[in-house]
Amino acid sequence: MTAERIDLPQGTLDLLILRTLSLEPQHGWAISERVQQVSSDVLRIQQGSLYPALHRLERRGWIKAKWGTSENNRRAKYYELTRVGRKQLEAETESWRKLAAAVAQVLESV
Amino acid sequence: MWNDLDSPLRALGFRLRALFRRSAEETELNEELRFHFEKQAEKYRLSGMGEEEARRRARLLFGGHEQVKEDCREARGTSFVEDARQDMRYAVRQLRANPTFAVVIVLTLALSIGANSAIFSVINGVLIKPLPYRQPDKLVRIFLSSAEYPKFPLNPFDFRDFRARNKSFDGMAAYMRGDMQLSGAGEPVRLHGFAITSGYFRVLGLRPQLGREFDERAETQGNNFQVILSDRVWRSRFAAAPDILGRKITLNAQPFTVVGVMPAGTTHPGNRHEPLAYGEDVDVWWPFAFLGDPADRGSHYLEGIGRLKDGVTVAQAHAELNAMMTQLGREHGGDIGWQVLAVPLDSEIVGGSRPLLLVLLGAVGMVLLIACANAANLMLTRAAVRQREIAVRVALGAPRSRVVRQLLTESLLIAFMGGALGLAMALVGVKALVLLLPANFPRAHDIHVSAPVFLFTLSISVGTGILFGLAPALQASRTDPKEGLHKGGRATTGNERQSRLRNALVVSEVSLACVLLIGAGLMLRSLLNLMHLDPGFQTEHVLTAMLSLAPERYSTPESLVRFYQELPRGIRSLPGVESVGLGSDIPWTGYDDNIGGFTIEGKQPPPHQEFHARYHIATSDYFRAMGIPLQRGRFFTDADKGEAPWVLIINHAMAERYWPGEDAVGKRIAFSDTPKETDWIRIVGVVGDVKDQPNSHGAEPAFWWAASEISFHFSRLLVPELLLAVRADANPEFMVNAIRNQVGRLDPLLAVADVRMMDQIVTASVATPRFQFVLVGLFGGLAIVLAAIGTYGVIAYSVSQRTSEFGLRMALGARRFDVLWLVLVQAGKLILTGTVIGVALALVLARGLKSLIYEVSPADPLTFTAIGFAVIAIAIVACYIPARKATEADPMVALRAE
Repeated sequence: MTAERIDLPQGTLDLLILRTLSLEPQHGWAISERVQQVSSDVLRIQQGSLYPALHRLERRGWIKAKWGTSENNRRAKYYELTRVGRKQLEAETESWRKLAAAVAQVLESV
Repeated sequence: MWNDLDSPLRALGFRLRALFRRSAEETELNEELRFHFEKQAEKYRLSGMGEEEARRRARLLFGGHEQVKEDCREARGTSFVEDARQDMRYAVRQLRANPTFAVVIVLTLALSIGANSAIFSVINGVLIKPLPYRQPDKLVRIFLSSAEYPKFPLNPFDFRDFRARNKSFDGMAAYMRGDMQLSGAGEPVRLHGFAITSGYFRVLGLRPQLGREFDERAETQGNNFQVILSDRVWRSRFAAAPDILGRKITLNAQPFTVVGVMPAGTTHPGNRHEPLAYGEDVDVWWPFAFLGDPADRGSHYLEGIGRLKDGVTVAQAHAELNAMMTQLGREHGGDIGWQVLAVPLDSEIVGGSRPLLLVLLGAVGMVLLIACANAANLMLTRAAVRQREIAVRVALGAPRSRVVRQLLTESLLIAFMGGALGLAMALVGVKALVLLLPANFPRAHDIHVSAPVFLFTLSISVGTGILFGLAPALQASRTDPKEGLHKGGRATTGNERQSRLRNALVVSEVSLACVLLIGAGLMLRSLLNLMHLDPGFQTEHVLTAMLSLAPERYSTPESLVRFYQELPRGIRSLPGVESVGLGSDIPWTGYDDNIGGFTIEGKQPPPHQEFHARYHIATSDYFRAMGIPLQRGRFFTDADKGEAPWVLIINHAMAERYWPGEDAVGKRIAFSDTPKETDWIRIVGVVGDVKDQPNSHGAEPAFWWAASEISFHFSRLLVPELLLAVRADANPEFMVNAIRNQVGRLDPLLAVADVRMMDQIVTASVATPRFQFVLVGLFGGLAIVLAAIGTYGVIAYSVSQRTSEFGLRMALGARRFDVLWLVLVQAGKLILTGTVIGVALALVLARGLKSLIYEVSPADPLTFTAIGFAVIAIAIVACYIPARKATEADPMVALRAE
């Protein structure tokens, strides 16, 4: 709550979720915690958008869900990246980089 | 790339799983979100908050729990199905709440969907289902054609040349009707038979279940005593003997060797007069032998059929055969003036029934449209009543598309119920329809309620549901929530658009009913014309039967003459019998194309044409027994026999064609190009015309040889098949046994077959016009009843909406009659508009009936006027009841309500 928070641009949420899951399978709460941590509290994912996004990605076949046991022995739903998801992540990362670079270039050119 | 193909499948699987594991998914979702919440609370607790505070903060952060769940469901893509499930439950509740409404619409729809499915079953079996042959689209019927005879059978030697020279066909075969009498296997019985060339079954793509078909050797003299049996005869007469092949059986008193047995259900492709001559009823096939002089190209009696080679079109084959015919014309004088006609087998068999079936489909389609209009109208009324409820839903944020979907679900549910009930009705209806079909209707065996019919019913049910549900649903979704709520659920007349839609429904119902009834009216007039036609012969108290004489037992002219004279004498001795005749055929039962060419004394035919007429054979009393009147000259007598002067009787049509304005009696013709004095035959009588069928345009020129003379002159024309005609002073039906005894006394081996009364033949001859009138009339009746119900409904609704207005008017001094008049004028305008449109539409559509009606103009003023007034009268009566109700409006009630 110390850092200033910004709204996620359209479509970035999917990218963040895929990226987070590319390291290891995670449950929803851990995904949102991790994003928040890594972004030094700048990016925060609301549950209201996280879970619909997870279900949407699952429907598209980019991630799959499995019930597992959490750190403190509770049942939790773990998501992991599928092969399609991994490819998708590569493609989206690539296009995000291009976009960011292009935007930066425009901003700095003036 | 693999994922492109895979993912839609996976998505589908996911959706299905989501759908079926709905409750499990729901629990999992709950559990997942709960876990998140707990973790969040735990985090707050660890940061030092108290238990209560931690949970409160977590809950705050979490936001609307239900909203998240809804969004997740949305994301999983199950919501469409969910909505549909909800809508369905809602629709069922609505229908339960108002069962009368549901029953009325479902029944109306069931009747019309059922009628559509039944007619479609017929169309599917007759027009759509392929014929029971291998690659039936490659089969082509081959005819000759000339200026005078557009469709004519082939000459055997022409056929043999076609078969030998053509390059377009994989195979070509010919056949000719030729029944046989089977004896020596139970009682003598006449079997339907065909003489066929070699390769006949191969061309059709059929194979004998036992043995083989005829080879070309069987087409030559002496080798042609072979036979192929039907499965039916093999089983019923020969106990399905496995050693039947090679056995000799007695047909027409001659031994034939059995070489094959066809499988059950073998269907014969038909000849010119009967599209499916006997269909599956053919029992024996025997070889057609090419006998006589190959240069004789004058006689035509063979039916040709061929199987096109791959890649050859009908037009190409047609062109090749025509070129061949021109060449044959150079080789043989008798072949000049003919062209070849090639017709796809399919259109040859069912082409004749296509217009009738399409008209029937159109008729039931109109009935369905009327039923839709009625259903739409009822839906509108209900939507008006539910205006408030819909307003509430819209006010609570339901999108309009959602309201439309909900109402559409209801109409689809109704349509499906109607469709299911309709299908049940069709199952019964199709059976009735097949019984009602005229006897010569092609492919009646193939008419069943089958998978395509189910599919058809399903799709018209969906179509119907959308058709009658969409407009009212769209209307209802336009409900302004403010207004709907404000009016407190009391429906109003104010909705201009709705009442315009209602009026349009009435107008279209009335006009469609009008069209159908006019069609039925035209068909009724046509049927009456046919039934009141002078047939040209006696129709009552005449019994006919078929006798097949075995040639070996009547091999001499003398033996035939004895039979011709003794049988009539014997039967005439029975009490009540007035006259007895024998002839080659009887009217209205179909003809072979037996056209004889001849020379007329003192006349020359136009170039490349010859004089010809149909020939028949008759004994002296044939015309008296049939009741065919003598116009000039005399009938045959017993003295016209043997070597007596050769005489002929001709019909009126032949006298008119060749001796117009002259007396034909006494004129002479000869059946030789260069007649000697002894070849001339003198015309001794002219008889009245009898047409081929009651609806034929006119009678064909025809002449009769004296039976007792002909066998002395033409040995080839020995008549193995004879029609017996017995005329009595009362119904001769009870005499059948006495007649059989008389025949048996003369020839114990002779079967008496096809016993029919002439009036039965007359009834059968109008079977098709009667069938079409009964059906179109039935649909027309249904249409007008539905239209009347619809009109009643709309007017009754409008009256109920205007009750207070009427009350007010009466309070202000209007008389009852004024109010009645007001309502009737309003309704009358709609009805009149509908009738005018209907009459105009019928004027256009009735042109399509031209081939189906006899001696009635498609714009028959009497029918149009009578039906027009009848429709107006019926509709006005339907409006009178609600109009009367309007006059009962109580002024006091009306005033209080305002």
